Amino acid sequence: MDILQESLNGVSIVAPAGRIDSTTSIELERAVGGALATGRQLVVDFERVTYISSAGLRVLLMTAKRLGGGKGSLVLCAMNDVVRQVFDLAGFLPLFSIEETRELAAAKAAGA
Amino acid sequence: MVAADAGELRLRIERPGREPTGHAGFADVVIGRTEKADVRVDDQSASRRHARFYRDGHRWMIEDLGSRNGTLLNGKRLSEPSEIHPGDAVRVCDVTVRVEGTGSEAAPSAEPANGTDAPALTDHDTDSSLFSVIRPAAELAALPDEGASSRLQLLNEVHRALARPITSAELLQMILDRAFAVLKPEQGAIFLQGADGQLARAAERQLPGTKGSLLVSRRLAEEVTVKGAAALVLDAQSDQRFSGSESILFSGVRSILAAPLSDADGCLGMIVLYSSIQVRRFTEQDLELLASLATVAAIRIRNIAHAEAAAARKVVDHELSLAREVQMAMLRRRPLTRPDVDLGARLAPARIVGGDFYDFLLDGDSLWFIVADVSGKGMAAALMMAVAQTLFRAIAPTGLPVDEMMARVNRELARDNEGSMFVTAFGGRLRLDSGRMELANAGHNLPYFLGKDGRVELVRAKNGVALGVVEEASYPITELALAPGEALLLYTDGVCDAVDPAGQAFGTARIEEFLTAHHHVRPADALVQGLFDAVNAFAGNAPQEDDITVAVLRYTGQ
Repeated sequence: MDILQESLNGVSIVAPAGRIDSTTSIELERAVGGALATGRQLVVDFERVTYISSAGLRVLLMTAKRLGGGKGSLVLCAMNDVVRQVFDLAGFLPLFSIEETRELAAAKAAGA
Repeated sequence: MVAADAGELRLRIERPGREPTGHAGFADVVIGRTEKADVRVDDQSASRRHARFYRDGHRWMIEDLGSRNGTLLNGKRLSEPSEIHPGDAVRVCDVTVRVEGTGSEAAPSAEPANGTDAPALTDHDTDSSLFSVIRPAAELAALPDEGASSRLQLLNEVHRALARPITSAELLQMILDRAFAVLKPEQGAIFLQGADGQLARAAERQLPGTKGSLLVSRRLAEEVTVKGAAALVLDAQSDQRFSGSESILFSGVRSILAAPLSDADGCLGMIVLYSSIQVRRFTEQDLELLASLATVAAIRIRNIAHAEAAAARKVVDHELSLAREVQMAMLRRRPLTRPDVDLGARLAPARIVGGDFYDFLLDGDSLWFIVADVSGKGMAAALMMAVAQTLFRAIAPTGLPVDEMMARVNRELARDNEGSMFVTAFGGRLRLDSGRMELANAGHNLPYFLGKDGRVELVRAKNGVALGVVEEASYPITELALAPGEALLLYTDGVCDAVDPAGQAFGTARIEEFLTAHHHVRPADALVQGLFDAVNAFAGNAPQEDDITVAVLRYTGQ
């Protein structure tokens, strides 16, 4: 899976592309783990994500739990309708902080 | 002045309780347990090739071939090759070999100093101790050479020794044994590439009393394993190639032989032999021998690794199939047959064990039902599923309302859920006397209502968060009434996420299309089977990536 990683004002950005399913979620987990090693403010950008399965949701849930235990924050952004629907279906929308754009998400993560 | 070659070696062999025998000749004399030894020692504590007399210019020498229990020369343990003289006694286990003559009596050595460090060095070694040969191992293995007969013998021995079934640890020791017997290093080691690509020492061996640790220069390791070259390094410390700052120190000047363990599928690691140059310098012929040995050994190492991996997989497969038995037994309970309800359900796991489950439970005049999907697949998901299903069975028939039942299952699952696994579930209760239902949704796909007039409608039940995520969650009840003949179809996302070979998903639209065309199909089992057939036909030979579950409850009300 193609996963871009960069940093915006001290916030780590992880931007996967394509389908996040039980196979590719392992790569996402690794990328997120790597990003958390350098900083505690994290944005996962869904702009290029076409689909997410429950395995992908689990990675995000795990990440949120890890950050929730200490100082840090996770903000998601730029979800398309399909992805948002998966979050909605699982009842996950209230669990995450979700923004429209990467810039808004990074600002929110930095401010938290 | 050049001394004459050593003459005939004459030996007298004494075995306990037997008449002494004699041996005379110009060829090497091997003492050991193997039937091919010139002097056979029939004793389990002797090594197969234990010790050897050999000619070194004008001298006859005795050396230990890396035996387990050592060789005594005049009562003293042999730590390095030593010159022998008439009257010397060599002892291997309970066999004593007395030296009666070495031929030197007739031609005494004029300049013994000349022989001390002059083993058969090639003309590469013209001016200094700096000398190394790096050659492609394949080329070396294919070389015809004058050492062909000893090489053939070695390979023969290796082939035979490696033919019987052994573990990989035994195999590596055996390879080192062979290398010690023929190439007589002081130390040797086999390094194998781990799953992480790093070389790790897998076996080692050294002569008793050898000092110094077995360390390998990273650059040598790279030269051998990455480039597939066999290396002969006669002076490790002064060879620029291997003295980089990150490389490892050698204690003292050593002669080193290294060869890759490669086969057609790539490099598995390498075998490295060392000797202090005071004891022995390896030659190019030795290098060729080691390269040949390594080629044969690599094939065998690969085979054994494959066999061991297959055996391990077999154990895991067996455990998984047992787990599946347990899982299927949980699903395959006595079918509920009642006149007022028609039930059908089927689950197709993506792997041997899966994370979906469904259940129907009768509690007085109520039928409890649930269809659920644990995040993930395989063993961990199956365990989570077993816990979730057990909780449902324990909690559902206690008379709690549907929302509280779901909240309690959730609380139990959320407690100590370190792996952050979660379960989406759609469950509820059907009152068999009236057809009224109370439904609760924990983040699951919405079911379909099949009306008796052919209507197919998504049941827009209120949603709650998936089970196991947060300890305190609520699952508001949605009510629905089924008239006799009407049904509810529940499923997991394995249905809509099933993909065809082109990667297109089945989707909810195809589910609705199927139900619109087949809502009338009876009994419920046949409708379930029909949807499975439609999904399978759509997916073709694309692999099933997720568990697929479909359940149908039709209220007959009779």
